[in-house]
Amino acid sequence: MKFKEPLLKNLYNYRYLFIVFIWREFTIRYRQSVLGVLWAVLQPLSMMILFTFIFSVVLKYKVSGYPHVLFFYAGILPWTFFSSSINSSISSLVNHRNLITKIYFPREILPLSGVAVAFVDFCIAFTIYLLLMFLFRITFTPRFFWFFPLLLILIVFIVSLSLMFSALNVYYRDVKLLSGFLLQLWFFATPVFYSVDKVSMKWKLILFLNPLTFIVENMRRVTLEGRGIVLWQLAFELVVVSLFYVICSRIFARLERKMADVI
Amino acid sequence: MSSENAIELRNVWKKYSKSATFHNSLREAIVEFFKGKRNGEGLKEDEFWVLKDFNLTVKKGEAIGLYGPNGTGKSTILKLIANVTYPDRGKIIVNGKVAPLIEIGAGFHPDLTGRENILMNGAILGMTPKEIKKKEESIIEFSGIREFIDMPVKKYSSGMFLRLAFSVAIHSNAEIFLFDEILAVGDESFRKKCYESIDNLKNIGKTMVIVSHDYEKLRKQTNSIVKLGFFRES
Repeated sequence: MKFKEPLLKNLYNYRYLFIVFIWREFTIRYRQSVLGVLWAVLQPLSMMILFTFIFSVVLKYKVSGYPHVLFFYAGILPWTFFSSSINSSISSLVNHRNLITKIYFPREILPLSGVAVAFVDFCIAFTIYLLLMFLFRITFTPRFFWFFPLLLILIVFIVSLSLMFSALNVYYRDVKLLSGFLLQLWFFATPVFYSVDKVSMKWKLILFLNPLTFIVENMRRVTLEGRGIVLWQLAFELVVVSLFYVICSRIFARLERKMADVI
Repeated sequence: MSSENAIELRNVWKKYSKSATFHNSLREAIVEFFKGKRNGEGLKEDEFWVLKDFNLTVKKGEAIGLYGPNGTGKSTILKLIANVTYPDRGKIIVNGKVAPLIEIGAGFHPDLTGRENILMNGAILGMTPKEIKKKEESIIEFSGIREFIDMPVKKYSSGMFLRLAFSVAIHSNAEIFLFDEILAVGDESFRKKCYESIDNLKNIGKTMVIVSHDYEKLRKQTNSIVKLGFFRES
């Protein structure tokens, strides 16, 4: 198999190492834990219950015409994937300084194995989503399949950010310190517990500067509401995210050269 | 280059910075990114040369020792050969797969068992899972810690760590082996085993670069010794 794209080429050439790293991350995470893989589901489910409680019981606010549980879970699902990817990839390079200063392998394997583990969690949480959709008798439409191209855009966006953050963190540990607080802000800027439908046009445009807004909002629309995607918006997001990816991977490649000296 | 050379360092210059923060490195990287050219030929404040116009040729199947006081660039040379860091000037040509003996603990995860760490470490050294499984028996045998192999390595003693790390490294299918100060660790019997296996590797035509402070041992292990830092102006 031949890949022209440098990242895919590296991953393919070092696929065994990549797989072993993913396997390791996954194993050590659940070793000496009682609940094990159940944690992948517990986090999104408890967030879903909390949101449902706050909006339905405390605020008595109607966010959707279908069960709130589904509305919130649809937003939490991609968000959890995003935030846990960033969290685990950001210090992945710094944590492996002993390896980075000793032996060559494509450095992107380290942040990307963090993303891959978060993706496994995402897949487990996604089956729960399907189960919930079935339980609440959501009518299935072919538009559901828009979910997968959206997921692909989300993955490219996450990979870009992970590469950039983890590489910058080698130079400035501030990046790690910033990330906690940045993720918190980002959470509110993303329609996880609200929908942009109810936001006025002016603010909507500002919210759409965040690529996650487009992805999260549409993932909910295509799966639960049977709505389609606005194609020009999709085209716009595609351009933005691919451009972002090109910039991030070039920054990573550049910073990689001096990583062993700086880390 | 001629094909009988395994490693060639030609007029290699390498500098390091003394400062703890790396504003300059990042700024340089960004400037390079936009300008598309590299600077950093000269020496800035709080930078110093570790290697100045350094040359080294190692033929295939040869064992070279690097000997010298601390801070004279021995480990830097290993890093350059391992393609972990890059020279500021000059050229490095390496013919063949490189296997450095990774520091004790670096390629190991404390929560994984010895057996799982063999897989981990082997993969880092560029072996496929299939190859590792095939060599697993022999690795465990060599390490001599069979009864502890399914125990998390966080419970290992440092000697047991080293035994496992060394066993994995010498089972690598690489052509070039890099050893950094390992010959001084481990108990007497294991050390003897290590020397024997290094001789073995030499006999089957592997190339080796060994860093050590023990001149006598180096003389026995290697074909020639490069002395570093003895004639350096301060």
